[in-house]
Amino acid sequence: MMRILKSREFLVLVLLVVMILSVATVNKAVLYPITLINILNSSLFLMLLAIGQMFVVLTRGIDVSVGATAGLSAVIFGFALNAGLPLPLAMLAALVTGLLGGMVNGLGVAFVGIPPIIMTLGTLGAYRGLMRVLTGGSWIESIPQNIKSFAVTRYLSVPLMVWTMVAVVIVVALLLWKLKPARYFYAVGDNYDGAYLLGINVKMTRFWAFSLAGAFAGAAAVVFVGQIGFVPMQTGNGQELKAIAAVVLGGVSLMGGTGSIWSAVIGALFLTAVDSMMIFLKVPGSWNNAVAGFVLLAVVVFDFLIRRTVRNRRLAARAAEMRRSELDHDGAGAPALVQTPEATS
Amino acid sequence: MPDDMTQNAPVVALRGIWKVFESVTVLRGIDFDIHAGEVHALLGGNGSGKSTIVKIISGAYRPTAGTIEVSGMAQSFSRPSEAHAQGIYMVPQEPQIFPNLSVRENLLMGLVGDPVENAERARGIADEIGLAADFNAPGGELSIANQQLIEIVRGLLRKARVLILDEPTSSLTRREVTSLAAQMRSLTARGIGILFISHRLNEVIDLSDRVSVLRDGHFVLEDATANLTTEKLVEAMLPADFSAPVEQETAAATALGTKPVLAVRGLSSRVFREASFEVYPGEVVGISGVVGAGRTELAEAIFGIDTDARGEVVIDGKTAPVRSPQICQEMGLSYVPEDRHAHGIFLDLPSAHTISSSLMALGRSRFMAAAKEMELAETFVERLRIKLASPMQYARTLSGGNQQKIVLAKILAPAPRVVILDEPTRGIDAHARQDVYRIIRTLTADGVGVVVISSEVGEIAEVSDRIMVMKRGNLVELPAGVRSVEQISAATFDTNGEVTA
Amino acid sequence: MKLTGFFKSWEFMLAMVLVIELVVLGLINPAFLNIENLLFSTSDFVHVIIAAVGLTLVIMTGGIDISGVSIMGLASIVLGLMFVAGMPIGFAVIAALAVGSGAGAFNGTVIAKTDINPLVVTLAMLFLYSGIATGLPTLLDMLGFKAYGAGGFEAYQYEGIGGLPKSFTWIGAGGIGWVPMPLIITVLIAVVASYLMTRTRFGRFLKLIGVSDQVARFTGVPVQRTLITVYALNGFAAAVAGLVLTAYFTSARSDLGAEALLNIITAVVLGGSSIYGGQGSVLGTFLAGLVLGFLRQGLLALGITSDVVPVIVGLLLIGSVALKIGMGVLHTKRANRAAYETERMAVAQNGG
Repeated sequence: MMRILKSREFLVLVLLVVMILSVATVNKAVLYPITLINILNSSLFLMLLAIGQMFVVLTRGIDVSVGATAGLSAVIFGFALNAGLPLPLAMLAALVTGLLGGMVNGLGVAFVGIPPIIMTLGTLGAYRGLMRVLTGGSWIESIPQNIKSFAVTRYLSVPLMVWTMVAVVIVVALLLWKLKPARYFYAVGDNYDGAYLLGINVKMTRFWAFSLAGAFAGAAAVVFVGQIGFVPMQTGNGQELKAIAAVVLGGVSLMGGTGSIWSAVIGALFLTAVDSMMIFLKVPGSWNNAVAGFVLLAVVVFDFLIRRTVRNRRLAARAAEMRRSELDHDGAGAPALVQTPEATS
Repeated sequence: MPDDMTQNAPVVALRGIWKVFESVTVLRGIDFDIHAGEVHALLGGNGSGKSTIVKIISGAYRPTAGTIEVSGMAQSFSRPSEAHAQGIYMVPQEPQIFPNLSVRENLLMGLVGDPVENAERARGIADEIGLAADFNAPGGELSIANQQLIEIVRGLLRKARVLILDEPTSSLTRREVTSLAAQMRSLTARGIGILFISHRLNEVIDLSDRVSVLRDGHFVLEDATANLTTEKLVEAMLPADFSAPVEQETAAATALGTKPVLAVRGLSSRVFREASFEVYPGEVVGISGVVGAGRTELAEAIFGIDTDARGEVVIDGKTAPVRSPQICQEMGLSYVPEDRHAHGIFLDLPSAHTISSSLMALGRSRFMAAAKEMELAETFVERLRIKLASPMQYARTLSGGNQQKIVLAKILAPAPRVVILDEPTRGIDAHARQDVYRIIRTLTADGVGVVVISSEVGEIAEVSDRIMVMKRGNLVELPAGVRSVEQISAATFDTNGEVTA
Repeated sequence: MKLTGFFKSWEFMLAMVLVIELVVLGLINPAFLNIENLLFSTSDFVHVIIAAVGLTLVIMTGGIDISGVSIMGLASIVLGLMFVAGMPIGFAVIAALAVGSGAGAFNGTVIAKTDINPLVVTLAMLFLYSGIATGLPTLLDMLGFKAYGAGGFEAYQYEGIGGLPKSFTWIGAGGIGWVPMPLIITVLIAVVASYLMTRTRFGRFLKLIGVSDQVARFTGVPVQRTLITVYALNGFAAAVAGLVLTAYFTSARSDLGAEALLNIITAVVLGGSSIYGGQGSVLGTFLAGLVLGFLRQGLLALGITSDVVPVIVGLLLIGSVALKIGMGVLHTKRANRAAYETERMAVAQNGG
């Protein structure tokens, strides 16, 4: 229990609640259920990208191509629907597109040894270009509007997509917690050499992290197209950096091994909520990025200060332990050969 | 331990193993055995190739040539898990802990089979060997001793027949060492073979059944521990051309009238306490101590790397309110760090760049013309007899000895008044070692004060005018007459009077 | 010896690629080789080279700064706002450059004083600076500053600030003879950066820190001060890139250059810099920037849609790094084998 309270996810969750409550003192409308549901609903796209990103960052990588992968998947999704494919098959097509996009990244990083930032920056350009080449640079608009039915269906006034998301998050959380190979993501990021020495296939683990990031980007594309009903060229533009910001904010360290799916969920919620809060405070939307950037900077610097304090305390404790052990021994008498010089004081 | 054990066929046998790294040969066709139920100690100076042998047996490295046999069958490991499958498990010098995962996960990570069943076995083994830790706490909160026990449990969970303990005692308290020793005895009683690596000779004598000593990539001694003493081990570890130090007039006599070039007064940090000593021009002060005793921490505190240390340091008669490597060098103190690759030399740059780097850092000229830099490098290449094709040759491709000379050139370029050399001959061959000693003698002849820090007692005996011992954070000076290898060993290694002076 | 070294160098390869590229494009479309056109077409992309030159210095230390693209927009909008607030344009330019350098120095300070990954720090700064750039007009209104026009500063938020004086837009459109001003500025910056990198202590410090910041610290290199300076220089270069682009477009905008990140990093990496630090050259970055820029121009001239360009740029980036990795692995294997053979022969001779 204490561990949860001390976690970064919890810290950001508290910040989120504090932010919403303090905005509520200015504008009560924030606390209307419909407002909160809308924030949740509009965070879904970023949340899925962030969950995918989480796998990569857990293994000490980074993927700046997830936005472009989502864009490419959205285009394939649109094509599939326009070609008359049934919705489930079209969704599958989008997911597979994302998965393949991620696999390319995984191959380059894990098996060729290209630094993640370089590999995914390259595919960022490639996928975004490919997206435009496929569509000739124009939006896909004539999508059958029945797909929006998925987005507007509500149970207990909460959109079906949000319910689905809740289910996905719970399933992924359980898998990450209990499934043995899922724990490899943590092990590889926490201590790469150690994981290798213990017989974990570290390359395969990294490969699958990137592949999953791609697959989740594909899922994000389905949500996005479902919510707006067409595929604009900007789909996913700049969202890759937001996704990274979300997971880092939520406590996934770029040094690997820490964080959980809750980091991605809470981080994405926070960044989306910031945008909404600005509206309620009547602050111009132009300040959104500044606030997001400031919060991210403040949280990582604060985290650094805490880590430094903890480390110093631990070192001091160890030194004290050594000293006590030495004092115990000195009772037995020091070797006669050695004498202390007089000049010490 | 029973002698007949060693008569049996070995569990693990290395035959004619070679290993070459980055064009540097580390192992030269060695043979090595580990038998069931015995502790086989592997001794050797830093860089002699010990850890390479360990990594080859445990599947982390592939040998360049030679074969590995396990129970008589030739094996080829391309990754550690393949060695695990053959019952070989290495407990690395730095336990490989996942700081953010729970203790339970730290134990079970990478293990095949049913997790619940494995967790029960882990619990059983942990109780058996005395690992008292909350299974739900994160691995990062474990003490070093418990981290080591985690590694041993991991090995036993994999049904290891051979455990490799790579310097398991170097960062343990005395009490923890005693308990580890008991563990080792109970493991061998169960028929497990242990490869034991330690710098502490008395531990080797106490805990092992057989000892092999490695020097410059091949074995120079292999015998049952019963036939050995610490003196014999010290002797075997000394370089082939080592001769007992001749009694020389200590420079201290001439130093009496002069002022010290370095005076340390009451310097304390987390690791060492109230260290005080003085170094006079033209003398060599040797500081003997085992790994982890606090000697490197002392040097780093003097040189301003560790800025938390408290106490007074006077360099060439002046005291600085704050010390940094730059300020120290400006005042006339230079330092050769213990870990050459991590702190001493720029491996991926031309050698000339390392040689000129300290002068550049001091900023005695706004910038250095390429021709001038080459000239400086060539001067030192000649003076220190550095063997390289050209000063532009990348440091990574040079031998350890030549790399060390380049570090020496770097710290000597600003013409220091006093130098601290931390393990100056670590991992270099006998010839280069003699060159380093010659360089030290040239320095003292020029009136430079020298501090040599070393875990090799022979080296301390050979080069020092005065000898100090750093033991578990306490620095003490040996009386003037006490300077034989045996006497220094006794003071350094805790041999508890077994060796008589 | 030195000459053959140059011919084997990465920079020489890039120069050859550039020549081949121009020749091939010229053969397909002779209009492309008109020198004046060729030179003036560089104004479309030199801002990428300017920012990439700054980033080369940062990557040399093993760090990275992705916030440069936001600093470009920030510098642009600062200049525009100062102008509509009635400041002399020269003063506005100096203020914009100072803001860019200050932003960079702030990045460097956080990176030097903490152990936070430079990518995370500059990611936060990327948002922070672009947010400040877009939010600045409304902030100035709130603070009660007065601007030309009825709508206050906010009116300039989305359209951008036009009507900049000729003396400033000349930087983007003017030239000396056949050589356009943006290219002159780019060459000037590249020459200065190259001089810094190869001829000064500071440049050597960058390299030493990039190879090993720990060894650099033990050697007495002022690691923190050097890092802060180099990030400040990167901020300065990004600000110059932003101003050049502002002058070229004759409009100050806060979102200027936001799309350039991929091209900037590709120019640096294709130019031969290692993302791990310690290796790289300004000349390489400059040449790689030209190769990339003309590639785009050429493809457009050939009637190929510009959509293909990022695909090719991305593949070039990945391919060039994969090629280097492959060459390195091969080289190490060969060296180890050779060393083993020599040693074994020596032992065999001694033993026999």
